[in-house]
Amino acid sequence: MCDACGCVHEDNHEHQESGTRKRVDVHESLFEANRAKARENRKHFDGRGLVVINMISSPGSGKTTLLEKTIDTLGNEIRIGVIEGDIETERDAERIRAKGVPAVQLTPGGACHLDAAQVHRGLHLLEQERGGEDIRLLFIENVGNLVCPAAFDLGEHQRMVALSVPEGSDKPAKYPKAFGTSQLFLISKTDLLPYFDFSLEEARREALLINPDLETIECSTVSGEGFDQWLDWLRRLCAA
Amino acid sequence: MHEFSLVQGLMGQLETLAAENGAERILLVTMEIGPFSGVVVDSFRFGFEALAPLTPLTRNARLIVLQLPQRYGCRDCDNEQDMDGDARPEDCPCCGSREIFPLGADDVVLRQVEME
Repeated sequence: MCDACGCVHEDNHEHQESGTRKRVDVHESLFEANRAKARENRKHFDGRGLVVINMISSPGSGKTTLLEKTIDTLGNEIRIGVIEGDIETERDAERIRAKGVPAVQLTPGGACHLDAAQVHRGLHLLEQERGGEDIRLLFIENVGNLVCPAAFDLGEHQRMVALSVPEGSDKPAKYPKAFGTSQLFLISKTDLLPYFDFSLEEARREALLINPDLETIECSTVSGEGFDQWLDWLRRLCAA
Repeated sequence: MHEFSLVQGLMGQLETLAAENGAERILLVTMEIGPFSGVVVDSFRFGFEALAPLTPLTRNARLIVLQLPQRYGCRDCDNEQDMDGDARPEDCPCCGSREIFPLGADDVVLRQVEME
């Protein structure tokens, strides 16, 4: 940075504008457009009395299966809706619809994350689905990816990051942003713990170093272990 | 590769800035990228190099990226340390504690634009 004028030009330069050349200081985040859209979404969600959860994880951590089981047990108690993000196919939305719950599939065309504008469109599409106007709890299943989705606020009330046992307990240290911006850390597929070198202690410790306020739930949809804890977490959010 | 969509957003912003300032060409774009922004600087550059030539406005634009240091704090002694590259410290050089956490900039900011 130039000490004389505070400008950030690397080369030697004149401090007055020469000819038609103009230097403009901007100081605006490239995330600002998305943040503004996310604020609009949040207002819209609040106005409709929706509790919204943004689910972030790698592909294959068991998000859709977790949702299926959640709908099975909680579906009669709380009206659930789902926005699915996948690069291709309607498959996840079809799995959710098969459970009798309104679902919309967003296929962001090769993009590695959902952004607030896409979710805004998704919400309007969801409203056109059967039962879509009468939702209390909305899950947004983000594109499977521990990196990019962490940088985009969707206007959600809660962000959860899921990590399955086969992925390894070093992931919180390697992907700090996903863990640093979430409120819930769900360790999934814990029925596989005997077969993998996964340290619950390491995963929890590393995640808490990045984010001391992070709540952790260990859960298996196969054995049912920890599943009640997950349901209670959802019930608490919807009761608030 | 969300860098590409960020660069797309940047291009839109540059168009607006040029219109506001009555400029026809963008000459120099200065960005500041925080180490914990989740943005890979090389991918961002690549996105810029791919998209800038597509419009006359940005065809000859140069990109400068200011990278902020990767800083870590220690929970036990409040020491802060900067790291080079992508390395993450194992422990605190001050007190030896392993309670190290990432600290600092996680944003991608358009700082300055030169145009004519």
